[in-house]
Amino acid sequence: MTIDHTVIRCDQFIAQPPARVWQALTDPELLARWWAAGDVRPVVGHRFILDMGSRGEQPCQVLAVEPERMIRYSFAEGSLDTTITWRLEAEGTGTRLFLEHAGFDPASPLGQQALKGMGAGWPRILSAFESRLTPVR
Amino acid sequence: MPATDVFSALANPVRRQLLEALRDGPRAVTDLAGDFALSRPAISEHLAVLRNAGLVREEPRGRHRYYHLEPVPLAEIHEWLHPFERYWRARLTDLRDLLEEDK
Repeated sequence: MTIDHTVIRCDQFIAQPPARVWQALTDPELLARWWAAGDVRPVVGHRFILDMGSRGEQPCQVLAVEPERMIRYSFAEGSLDTTITWRLEAEGTGTRLFLEHAGFDPASPLGQQALKGMGAGWPRILSAFESRLTPVR
Repeated sequence: MPATDVFSALANPVRRQLLEALRDGPRAVTDLAGDFALSRPAISEHLAVLRNAGLVREEPRGRHRYYHLEPVPLAEIHEWLHPFERYWRARLTDLRDLLEEDK
C-alpha cells in the first residue's frame, strides 16, 4: 500500500551511453526535439522557461546537478509547483533514465482548481487535465 | 457533518501528516496528538474530517479511540495523477526514439 499520492516515477531504458542521454536533458536544442523548448543549463541556480505550447510557459530553476548522473529543477512555479528529477544509471552499454516528478499537492493552485470542479464530477476534471497534458499530434 | 470528498480532506497538510502517522498501524488519538503542535480537540476535528472522507476508521478500545488507515479512497487520488503519468510515458518514449534513431 502506498499513500504517497504526490509523486510520479517512471523509468526508461535507452540504448545510448549516459553522456548522450545527459546531452538530451541539458542541451536546449535536443530537449526541444523530444519535450519542450527552453534555455536549460546544468548549472545550479540557473532559471529558465520551458515553453510547453498549449500548456503554457513554465518557469523552472535548477536545484541540483551531478554531471551525467542527475539534474533536478523546480517546475511550473505558481501553478503545479512541483520538482522534476532526472537520474541516469549506466546499464550494459546503455542508460536507464529515471524520472521523478514530485510535489503534486491537492492544496496547490492546480489542485484547488480540481477541487472547485468537484461538483461537476471526476470525469470532467480528468478529461480537462488530459486535454491539457496530452500532446496534440 | 456531511460526507467530505477525499480531495478536500487531503487539502490540509495536518491531515496528510495524520495519514502518514497511521501508515504503520492504528494509533490512539492521545498518542497521535503528541506528534503535533496542536491541541487534542483540533486533532480530533481533523480526524473527523478524515473519517467523513472514509480515509480513516475509528475503533474504541477501552477508554481510548484508535484510528486505522483506510487505503481505498486514496486510489481516487491516484486517479488524479494518471494523465500526468501517461504524459511522461509518452515523453520518455519520444526521447528513446530520438536518441536511438541517430545511433
